[in-house]
Amino acid sequence: MMATTSKQYKAIGEDLWKSRTDKINSELFALTYGALVVQLIQDYEDYAEVNKQLEKMGYNIGTRLIEDFLARSSLGRCSDFREVGEVVAKVGFKSFLNITPTVTHSGAPPPSSRPTSAAKQSGVPGSTFILTLDENPLAEFVELPDEALEGGLWFSNVLCGVLRGSLEMVQMQVQVEFLSDVLRGDESTEIRVTLLKYLEEEVPVGDD
Amino acid sequence: MSHHLFLLSPSDTPIYSLTHYSTKLPQSTSSSLSSNLPTWSTSAFAGTLTALSGASSATQSHHVQGGSVRMGGGQDRHVIQMIANASLDVIEDVMRKESAMYMKSVDKFNEWTVSAFITPGNMKFILLHETKNDDGIRSFFHDVWELYLKTMLNPFHTAHSPIRSIVFDTRVRASAKKYL
Repeated sequence: MMATTSKQYKAIGEDLWKSRTDKINSELFALTYGALVVQLIQDYEDYAEVNKQLEKMGYNIGTRLIEDFLARSSLGRCSDFREVGEVVAKVGFKSFLNITPTVTHSGAPPPSSRPTSAAKQSGVPGSTFILTLDENPLAEFVELPDEALEGGLWFSNVLCGVLRGSLEMVQMQVQVEFLSDVLRGDESTEIRVTLLKYLEEEVPVGDD
Repeated sequence: MSHHLFLLSPSDTPIYSLTHYSTKLPQSTSSSLSSNLPTWSTSAFAGTLTALSGASSATQSHHVQGGSVRMGGGQDRHVIQMIANASLDVIEDVMRKESAMYMKSVDKFNEWTVSAFITPGNMKFILLHETKNDDGIRSFFHDVWELYLKTMLNPFHTAHSPIRSIVFDTRVRASAKKYL
């Protein structure tokens, strides 16, 4: 059932994290990311633009990260969008950031959760899942100054881009955005992923 | 009984300052002389004058402290800063000889004692206080040091510029309340 699969995902995520021998110091990671955000702010001087740039950077990372992730985890296709959410939270986030956000699903439930054929995926566009992060290694030690709060900066917006980029490479067009962030004084840090549509595999057009 | 904390960068620019009024009772004995003194002698200099006239400084400090709290104001603030600045020379001398971080009672100015704490990065924490409270002050300095480290790691903070973080301020005050 769903619960067993969930435990399996947790176990896979844990294994992947442990099997990575090249880990870096989290302070160095947080400091590097923080320096990057501060530099972007100085360069662009517009918080909406900084959000966009962070997302773009994330997108570039995500499109390449997915290959590494799939190779290491050797997980097959997800049968529905709900499963996507589970895998992202329990295996994806765990193996790269060593955190496991909680997932809340919503949107029309899929007609069948059993994979009938390998190619067909079920899941209704408009389905969403929300990831609630109770810790965020990117934002360790960060305190946003007032201008950043007023300007609407999403400090960890790179994560949205990573999710968008990686899911696009597995044929899902999604919209990813922050709903709240404890750095802004909100109660929790939440990212919402909305399925826009499935991307059909395109047959390359012959030039001759 | 008040305490004045100053954080200075290696180039002696002020990074942060705090005045803390402790609710803890001072250890000095209550004075019978203080009630005889005129209430208008409220500035910190009054302590100097009466000390010169031979009265015991312990009793003066208790009364003068009460007086200066009532008056408050810029006059005392300037004296405090003068004392802090004057102690910098002494601190630098001691710094060269000793490698310990916490220096107690570096300097004494009438009722005010100056204790200092030098971080490995050459930040100077200076505390002006009236009563002897070495353990409390050492713990307080260590707390401030940890809070300072956390503030330094905030990417939005620029090194050696004044600390404006409200979180830092709140926590330093809480620590002062706990130890001083």
